[in-house]
Amino acid sequence: MKYKYLNGKLTIYLEEELDMNSCRTIRGVIDGYIMKFQPYELVLDLSGVEFMDSSGIGLILGRYNLIKLLDAKMTVVNATSNIRRIIELSNIKLECVQYE
Amino acid sequence: MSENYIKIESKANIKNLASIRLCITSFLSEINIHFDELMDIKTALSEAVTNAIDHGYLENDDGIIITEAIIKDDEKIILKVVDFGKGIEDISLAMTPAYTSKPESEHAGMGFTIMESFMDEVIVDSRVDDGTSITMTKTIKKRKSN
Repeated sequence: MKYKYLNGKLTIYLEEELDMNSCRTIRGVIDGYIMKFQPYELVLDLSGVEFMDSSGIGLILGRYNLIKLLDAKMTVVNATSNIRRIIELSNIKLECVQYE
Repeated sequence: MSENYIKIESKANIKNLASIRLCITSFLSEINIHFDELMDIKTALSEAVTNAIDHGYLENDDGIIITEAIIKDDEKIILKVVDFGKGIEDISLAMTPAYTSKPESEHAGMGFTIMESFMDEVIVDSRVDDGTSITMTKTIKKRKSN
């Protein structure tokens, strides 16, 4: 998992498969970066994600709640159409999800 | 009337989740099925197996999970996920969108909603302390374009 931090904006490039097994490790790593950088904005880039189930939704929601606590902003970008359908189903009020 | 199936017996270990998905989707790829529909089936399967491991056995990996995929007449797909764990007390509550029995562990409570949205039919049979069996069916509508 790669990340980029520039001018208060932390971008995390998620990869491969987001399921209950992988999300456990990823969650800790992302939260570590968030705590380290205390960003104004968190961007979750899903372009490298090939598969995601509801554990991925849990991961996104959890980071969203954390980012709100820090009074920061979060965006989710580059979800493929299959992953987009899952995000839409979840009915999360994600003003933060941007497509393409 | 043609029928083909594959059946996997595995330990209820979350590390097996990706292997079960890979094996079942590889089996289903033998028929002419569009990538989008295969992904829907893969996602529904992942939810069912995750539930069995996480809720059925509370991650006690002494448990066993049986995952079965059946293809009928190259168009109807049946997935069965069976565990012998603690069972579901209130099935309709468990199936309510956004309901989770474990709010502290960042679950979205979307498992059954995804299964029901991505498959044609989802049947849940569960008995407390006996286990849960989930049967999902889908008839293939989209084929590969070539």
